[in-house]
Amino acid sequence: MKRLLVALALVLSACSAGGQDGPTTITFWDNNGGPGRTPIYEELIKRFEAANPNIKVEYVGIPSSSVQQKYDTAIAGGSTPDVGGVTTSYLAHLVGQDALEPLDERLESGPLKGKLLPGLLETVRQTAMDGKLYAAPASGNLDVIWYRSDLFAEQKIAVPDTWDQLVDAAAKLTKPADNKYGFTIRGGAGSVFQLLAEAYSYSGVDKFYDGGKSTVSDPRNAELVSKIAGIYKKSTPEADVNNNYTQMVAQFTGGTVAMMHHNLGSTADVMKALGAQKVSAMPLPKGPSGKRTVVPNPTDGFAVFKGSKNPDASWKFVEFLTSAESNGYWNEKVGQIPANTDVRGAEWIQKNPAVKMALGVLEDPATMLVPAPVYLPEYSSITKTDTEPLYQKVLLGQMSAQQFLDELAAKLTTAQQEWEKRK
Amino acid sequence: MTQTLSRQETPVSPPPPAPPRRKKHRDPSRFFRLYLPLVLYLLFTLIPFYWMLVFAFRPAGETTLLPWPITFEHFDTVWNDIGFGLFFQNSLLIALGTLVTVTVFAVMGGYALARFKFRGQRVFLLALLCTQFIPGAMMLIPLFVIFKNVGLLNSLTGLIIADTAFQLPLALILMSGFVRNVPVELEEAAMVDGCSRLRAFFAVTLPQLRPALVAVGSFAFIGAWNNFLFALMFASRQDKFTLPVGLSYALGEFNTDFGALAAGGVVAAVPVVLVFAVVQRFLVQGLSAGAVKG
Repeated sequence: MKRLLVALALVLSACSAGGQDGPTTITFWDNNGGPGRTPIYEELIKRFEAANPNIKVEYVGIPSSSVQQKYDTAIAGGSTPDVGGVTTSYLAHLVGQDALEPLDERLESGPLKGKLLPGLLETVRQTAMDGKLYAAPASGNLDVIWYRSDLFAEQKIAVPDTWDQLVDAAAKLTKPADNKYGFTIRGGAGSVFQLLAEAYSYSGVDKFYDGGKSTVSDPRNAELVSKIAGIYKKSTPEADVNNNYTQMVAQFTGGTVAMMHHNLGSTADVMKALGAQKVSAMPLPKGPSGKRTVVPNPTDGFAVFKGSKNPDASWKFVEFLTSAESNGYWNEKVGQIPANTDVRGAEWIQKNPAVKMALGVLEDPATMLVPAPVYLPEYSSITKTDTEPLYQKVLLGQMSAQQFLDELAAKLTTAQQEWEKRK
Repeated sequence: MTQTLSRQETPVSPPPPAPPRRKKHRDPSRFFRLYLPLVLYLLFTLIPFYWMLVFAFRPAGETTLLPWPITFEHFDTVWNDIGFGLFFQNSLLIALGTLVTVTVFAVMGGYALARFKFRGQRVFLLALLCTQFIPGAMMLIPLFVIFKNVGLLNSLTGLIIADTAFQLPLALILMSGFVRNVPVELEEAAMVDGCSRLRAFFAVTLPQLRPALVAVGSFAFIGAWNNFLFALMFASRQDKFTLPVGLSYALGEFNTDFGALAAGGVVAAVPVVLVFAVVQRFLVQGLSAGAVKG
């Protein structure tokens, strides 16, 4: 029996090896595979293969909900792709498993030198303990409030610039009898990440940690959380306490709510459902301080895996994907912020008000970036499993906003201190 | 004492009214006891199907309660843009392959468990049951490494083997129960008439096991058809993915295409519904059929 198995294994491995001549083949895993993105990559791969006839790219689209597990299994099993799409939200996790190639030297010695947005490079570098660049950033994202411009015009409501104005507008746009609400709260999965962006935009606190202690529990942040909890059920649907992003987007595109806090990632969905005549994006409003503080969204990029047998060809592909032409094409299609600064002047950006607005915010020297500590291995569990249920308690009036933020801050402070120790 | 009392009472009490026999069928409480709960339960099970059908056939952005005007654009998306054609074919091959292997091994093992006594039989049965407590996700990485070493990654055969390994224990337990219910006297009678054990099995026992084969086979089919985790983890090539993986393509990082999700759900549910439509006849038959009278 043993012999039979060995023989079988030999035959099978003989079948799978072979074919060493001819073009080099590299595999590319798309971390957000699906009908929206796959055709864009197929087109880019076609262009790349035409320009580099000796390199073939095998595309594999991984569903975004399972991509982390897929990477983990591949790393544990020693079967990683050559190039993979990654975002900074789980980049630290991959770097921690020693799965990725640092890209600093390759970037510095190639045509991409000085071409990628410094802010995005910084967010990628921050995720690694050694401060190296483990992914080439390809696109940035920004939290925005999508709003029904048609309803605002109809009821002659000015587009809010501050959170207080937003709360007023939400109340005016709410008509529970017609099942119409001014705003929707993300109370379910992913709530705390969005809430932090809202809190910092209101408080104007410009650092996530001050002297090693988390600033999340700042009373000004609590003020905003109380404000949001205050409009729950008054200007929002009652079901919001369990809302994840799909339900929020469905409520907004279905016409039930007039304003939704999400990010540029939902551009295609809202535009397809409502059209540019009915919907626009505004940055998160400001608070009493009048300062514009932004908690950046995870940055998308491309990583080269250490297990790659063809690191040079792999980097070539990454370089191609982040070149001005490809990067512009990709971001135009998905409606996000291009990392390559040469794309700035492209015509499509002028025609896409949401991206133009987002670029304006990011390039405004007055804007202050407050990056969340996504490099902490515990960050995801702290902001999801540990504290999402607590935020639901705040919404339901069972816990005070300050108490909730105190607990969250304590956990973030401990995690940061442990991380500093390991460093 | 009690007798006297009752005797005294009987003449005074009026004769009990004859029960209205014909009205028994129109008993209103029957509606509340029987039909109402059934109707509610039926609604409870059917509403998700209704939801799926409405979203699948309704244009994106519409909020009507009926899919009118009807559209097939979501089916076009899943079939042509997501590539459900190939995923469907892969799923079907894996599910049928698993059905065959699981059923064959379950009959062989189930027969052995039911008809023979051997050392460690109880421990073996217990071990089979215990395997059911281990979630597939826990075995993922060890299995992945083994499959990689024997070259079974990226192959439908590998997925059939993995699915079979996880479906077989329950199938074995089920099948041994079914075999035990077929009276051993039937086989003995055949063997008295000159059959070998094997021939007695094929001629007498196997035909009696038809409902069991259908039940075990359909469970194996559906288990393999629905398996998302193995299909995604053991395949890293676009052309080896299956329907559940294709379905999850409709759930993007920032957006969910509910129309495509629902249309994909319809496509994925059709074979399962068909399997049950054909099979339920056998399943019911299996409950009532008896081999020995009296």
